[in-house]
Amino acid sequence: MSLDAFYRFQNLARDESVVFFYTGYFSQAIVTAMADALRLRLNQTDASNVQRRKLFSVFIEMAQNVVHYSAEHLTASESDDQEIRRGALWVGERHGQFYVVCANPVDRNQSHRIRDKLAPLLGMNNDDIKQLYKQKLRADNDAESKGAGLGFLTVARDASGPVEFDFVDEHGPHSPTTMFYLKATI
Amino acid sequence: MQNIFLAASSYSPEVNFDFANHRLALKGECYPENAAVFFEPIMHALHGYLASLDHVHITVDVQLAYFNSASTKAILAIFERLNAAAVAGNYVTVNWHSDPDDDTIMEFGQEVADDNGALDVHLLELA
Repeated sequence: MSLDAFYRFQNLARDESVVFFYTGYFSQAIVTAMADALRLRLNQTDASNVQRRKLFSVFIEMAQNVVHYSAEHLTASESDDQEIRRGALWVGERHGQFYVVCANPVDRNQSHRIRDKLAPLLGMNNDDIKQLYKQKLRADNDAESKGAGLGFLTVARDASGPVEFDFVDEHGPHSPTTMFYLKATI
Repeated sequence: MQNIFLAASSYSPEVNFDFANHRLALKGECYPENAAVFFEPIMHALHGYLASLDHVHITVDVQLAYFNSASTKAILAIFERLNAAAVAGNYVTVNWHSDPDDDTIMEFGQEVADDNGALDVHLLELA
């Protein structure tokens, strides 16, 4: 990549008001370090305490989602601790609102499962989401979840509007993986 | 019964389970990579402590500024176990602290109270 390309990259990030961007491998140590840096960075913005807490929560849920579920991993795919997996995460600001976006490859056969979890949340208002959250809090764990199965719901709960998601075939329709994008505005 | 003291880290709370004095405290942030791994030894010790107690007053102070989704069920499980101890004849006071503008933490404390009727839960705002 020529230096010129880096300038364009920087300019685009500035034009889109990117506060924070990371791409590469995610581990708990990296998530913790990023979280510390993000906190310091947010202290320099006009964000309210409530907004900062929600943004932090969404950031952690998305970053740990990459650690646990990205299809591209350095650690054994069946492990559930000390994992290292690849993805990308953006935090940006626009008109007093913040957004967090994460991207990571997922197995194509998992995309329906993810879609089934997220699609119902899109039409819900905040009260509906809180009710569903309370219900799931008391439900038995989802066998395929490494946590409490509440990650997407937590992101939706803390977002100020409906979350957005997409799957993008970066390596064509026959690749075993597809890129999963999730965006929340706070 | 061995007391438990774990110092806080960036992603885990201070855990101070002073079993000898029947005072349990959680303070800080909680977003370990694997909540089950983090809470397993804590729950194990809690089970051991509560198993033999009768007519004891236990005080639990919770001051969690943030916890991730994966930790929620483990935290609820702690209070379910304490509730069982209260039903079994002990008296359990829970002081649940939150920032005045932190509805999420406060509402979670309310959930704990709603689900565990034998606990004496106080929802307190931090100054």
